[in-house]
Formats: sequence, structure tokens, C-alpha cells
Amino acid sequence: MLLTAAVWAATGAGTYLYIGSHRGTIAAQARTPGEARSGSSSPLSRLPGTMYIVQQGTLYRLQGGAFTALLQSATWTQPAVAPSGQSLLVVRRDYDFSDLYLVDTAGHVQAQLTHDANRNVQLNHWAFYPRFSADGGQVFFSYDAKDRFNSYDVVLSIYQMPVRGSFGQARKWTTPEPYTGGDLQPIPLGPLGVIYTKYTFDQATNRILSQVWLTSRIGAVSRPLTDAAADCSQPSLAPDGRRLALICTGGTQFASVEVASFDGASLGPRQVLVGGQLAAQPTWAPDDSGLVYLAPQGLSGHFELWFQPLPPPPPPTPTAVPANSPTPRRAGAARPTATPSPPTPSPSPPRPPAAIQLTTDLDFDATSTIAWHL
Amino acid sequence: MGWRSALAVFLIGILVSGLCGILAYFLPVVAAAYAQTGQQARSGRAGPAPLPAAPTPASAIRGAAFTVLLMGSDDDSKFPSDAVLTQSMILVRVDPAARHVTMLSIPRDLWVPFAGGGTAKIDAAYALGGATRAIATVEHDFGIRVDEYVWVGLKGLIKLIDYLGGVDLTTANPVLDDFYPADVESTDPYAYKRVAVLPGPQHMDGLHALEYVRSRHDDIQEDFGRSQRQQQVLLALRTKVRNVNPSDLPAIVATFNAEFKTSFNLLDLGRLRSLLALASQITDPSQVEQLILTGDYTSSSVVDGQDVLLPNWNTILPLVQKNFT
Repeated sequence: MLLTAAVWAATGAGTYLYIGSHRGTIAAQARTPGEARSGSSSPLSRLPGTMYIVQQGTLYRLQGGAFTALLQSATWTQPAVAPSGQSLLVVRRDYDFSDLYLVDTAGHVQAQLTHDANRNVQLNHWAFYPRFSADGGQVFFSYDAKDRFNSYDVVLSIYQMPVRGSFGQARKWTTPEPYTGGDLQPIPLGPLGVIYTKYTFDQATNRILSQVWLTSRIGAVSRPLTDAAADCSQPSLAPDGRRLALICTGGTQFASVEVASFDGASLGPRQVLVGGQLAAQPTWAPDDSGLVYLAPQGLSGHFELWFQPLPPPPPPTPTAVPANSPTPRRAGAARPTATPSPPTPSPSPPRPPAAIQLTTDLDFDATSTIAWHL
Repeated sequence: MGWRSALAVFLIGILVSGLCGILAYFLPVVAAAYAQTGQQARSGRAGPAPLPAAPTPASAIRGAAFTVLLMGSDDDSKFPSDAVLTQSMILVRVDPAARHVTMLSIPRDLWVPFAGGGTAKIDAAYALGGATRAIATVEHDFGIRVDEYVWVGLKGLIKLIDYLGGVDLTTANPVLDDFYPADVESTDPYAYKRVAVLPGPQHMDGLHALEYVRSRHDDIQEDFGRSQRQQQVLLALRTKVRNVNPSDLPAIVATFNAEFKTSFNLLDLGRLRSLLALASQITDPSQVEQLILTGDYTSSSVVDGQDVLLPNWNTILPLVQKNFT
């Protein structure tokens, strides 16, 4: 009798557990990069140089296929590596403000560059998307200056300040459109100015859309490099300075990785490298062999690291650049062309090889930039 | 007792034990089904402003198109329980045969006559008369039938999104707000905090998704921008819901607690299964039409000292009739 009761009880419990074991796989946890192991022949371990990438607020260094945690115990994001490769700019994000920090490549904090916390919470500031200038002496970033007459209008502008200086020396580069989010993601070009993403309200579609803009100097008239309908953002300049990678959505939920030639003043036709995904943060390999980006498989899932191999760009057309102004090879060494050249139609470039998924179950922070240096 | 009888008792015991296991597993669903779901959606059956009796709801016919009113509310302590404003009202027309969904966001500041009398912002309809009056008002003003409704408290939305493992979406622009209500994390219902949702593709947990859909102070489109963001998160949620199966229901019900009410009957597993199957079949963006009442549909004004949106019924009604009947 006791045995029968035990069988009955086991049947009931077993049924309960059986149903419970068939729940949907809807909340699979990501692993930490430290748990990820890659063999010496894996695509991840064949990546050149050193990469800095963020997962859940921890900054990791990827070298030879191995991840090492550099900064944790806070929410760290958006690393940028110095031209020398010897230091990093990183954003430390707190509950309602964020600050820029200078750290060495071992993850030791060297200096806090901004002090954005205030007793009055509404006087706190955000600082995001830091980038070194080509000579490493300046930092460009996005910062929300306060509107004294309208505290509801919080918009980001592009600022510049000395890496070893104070915010009192900061200079404002751009004037954002109110109530749009503003100007983000600066890429300093040396004498050519700054490329950045500008958010503007598009009357035609009744939406806020993003465009990649170029401004040559503080106070100069900026101009768009992409059209509003393309909704492009997250520009990333190739090490040779001749190609720009972008994320474009066309106002949809799909975010494509696109690439276009860049002559220092204008973009050529855009080529879609990866479409139909939620792709983010395209970042060029330091040897120009391709670019990495973050995306889930399909439209949902963990944001993994992918590598898109790319052939070298075709040689520049002789008519595009005046003879006395060589085509910029590096952003910092480039000089402005005498006359901006319009995008020139070119034959369709060859289809690049398929992108390679480098990681699984890691779920990197897709709003954080990736830094990569040889 | 002969061995045949003993065997029969044993087998019946096995059957009953298995059923008890099933019942125990789904008990939270059954309890929630009676307490929170299967509630009346039709305004004509009850409520302060009974409308003419309606024919059989279209939703009763499987495969026929039906209209759902989605409502999301602040559920903070500024309001008495269940007398909260609706931050979000979205009409959703589902056409299973055409595999097409149309979403229309109703601005919370829309100044409309209420079913049962009076004129006010439409977000007060739920506060004044619950789902019944909110539905009656929508039906009365927009000239459509609402077959079902779903009401979710904002904390419930956070829990649901977290249970589903977050949502993945492309945020269209930076959402910055220095006066975002901090009522979820704080005991002070009037507390504010700063939020910054950065743009681009990303994964969001429940709290950050709520910040994205709820912020409105720094959006040039004001409530319309927020409506677009709400529709966007709904579509991202739909992608996640494809992975849900009936075994998830007890845990989902547990996450909601009292933050969820609906006229859908959770015990109608066949219907739920067909709805989940339909969600998995709607994969192309062209299958979803998103409508916002900007431009010619509304105009800003001040009434009784309140900033309101006045409806232009001459443009709204044809749009609604075209898409929701």
C-alpha cells in the first residue's frame, strides 16, 4: 500500500516537473566572456591586435582569443583607444550622470576627465562617446549643456577638451536641434574637422531621424554626408581614412551595416554589407582587413561579435582630388580638398564574403562602442 | 478485492495523480483566469453608459478579424487603486486571415466626450470607470467595436519584459529626460530622475524599456513620439512571445500579480495557442501597420487650463473606419 502511494505521489510530482521542464527558452542567460574559450585556430583568436569591448558594464580586453576583465564594479561603457594604444577613454555611467575616465591598458584609472555629478540632480550631466584626436592630445565627446531657460530640452552637443586639461577648457563644436537627442558619436578627422551623428526632426515622415554630418571647424556650417531618409548613424572611419562604415535603418527596425568611400569631404555610394539584422557598432580592423559589429542572429537574441572580411578599397579616382592635395590616408594626416567632390557613381562593388560569427551566448552591450588597436 | 480491481484502482490513482500534477502546475493560471481574465470587454453589457446591444463579438469567431484595446497605466500611489490614468491606449486590429495587424495609438491628451457624460482627456476614462468606461468611450467616439481589452500596470510591463528575457529593438533617437518619474524605484510618487536611453540596436530589460516608452519631456513630438516608441516595444515583445508556450503561463501569471487584466480567457488554451501561432506568422514588417494621430488628425489647445489635443473627427473617423471595421 505504501509503495502504491509512493508511485502515485511520484506520478503527480513527475507530471508537474515534466510540464515545467517544457517552458519556452525565452530568457537564456548570457555567459561572461571569461567563460568563453576559443581554440588557437578559431576565428576569434585570429583577430589581429587588441580589442576592447563591454558586456553588462564590464570592460573586457580581447587578445589572442582570450577575454580579460579590465574594469568592473561599476557600469563602464564606450571605450576608445589612444592612437598610441597605451591608454583608453572610457565612460563610467552612474544612475543619473556619466563621466569620462582615462585608464591605462591594464584597466587602472589614470584620471577622471569630467565631473558631472551635482547635488541638484537636474544639474547633472551626461558625457558619452569619447574619442581621441589623431594626436591623442584632445578628447571629443557628447555632452548635455543645460538650457537655463528650458530644463526640459536635454540635448547632446559635440565638445572638445584637452585629455590632460579640465572641462573649463572644453569647446563646443556643434549646435544640436532641440528636443531630438542632439549630436553624438564624434570622429575627429584632424584638420578636416569632425564627423558625427546628428538627430533631426523630419517633417516628411514625422519622425526623428539620424544623419551623419561633417563640420570642418568650430562655428563652421555643418553639412550632411547622408540623407535623412537613410537614417544612418554610428560612423566608423577605416584606418586608411578612405572608407566609412555606418549603421542605416531607413527608419525601420532593421539596422544594416553599410560602407561607403570617403574622400575627406563627401561619401560615395553606400554598399549594404549586412542587412536585415539589428546590427550595431561597426568597427574597423586596425589592419583594414574588415570590420567587426554586434548583432543577434535574426531580430532577437544575444548581441554577438561578428567579423565581416572586406577587400581593400579600389584606388582613388584621379579626378576626385586635386593634384596638390593627396587623398587622405589617415584621418590625422589628411588635408582638406580644395573643392568637395560629389558622390560619383561607380560600378557595383563585388559582393563581400559572408560575415563570420565570432562569439556565442555572450550578449555584448550594443550601445557601447568597440575599440580596436594593433 | 481481486487483482483486477486492485489494478484498476492503481491505474485510476496514476491518472488522478497525473491530473493533480497538471492542476497544481496550472493552479496559478486558473486562479488568475478567474480573478483577472475573461472579464467583460463589451461596453454594451455593463458600465455607466450602456450602448445599444451589439451583435455577437467578431472575436468569438475564430479566424475573423477582431479589435483589442491595449491600455497601460501608471500604477503609482498618486492614485487610488484601480483609478489610474492610462498612459497608453493602443487600438490593435488583428486580421488572422490576412495575417495583418494595424495599431493606432490614441493620444492620452485627446479631449473627447465620455460615454456616460462629460468631456475630458481620454486618459481619465479608465480612472473614472475602469475598462468598461474606457472601452465605451473609445467605441462611442471612434465608432468602432472593441472586442477584447488588455490592461497592464507599468510595473507589470517591467516584470513581463524581464520574464521574457528583455526585448531587442532599434531605438530611433536618444531619449533624454531630466524629469522622468522615479515612482518605480522610489516610495515618493512625485520623485524624478534623469534617464538617457542611447540610440541604436540594443537589448533592454524591463526597467529600461519602460523608461523608453514612458519618457516624453524631451521629445519634439511629445506624446506622439512616445506613442511610436510604445508601438515599437510592443512589436519587439511580439518577437519574444513567439517563444512562449502554455508551460510558461503560470510563471507569467505570477510575474503580473495584480498588474494585468484582460477580457481574454486564459483558460481558453486553444484560442491562446492560435494567437501565439498567429504572432509567429507575422514576421514581415509589411504585415504590421502603425498609425499615429499627428498632423491633420489633431491640434494642440488649452482647455480649462490643461494642455490638450483636440480631435479632428473629419479626418480621424475615415481613418478608423477604414482600418478598424
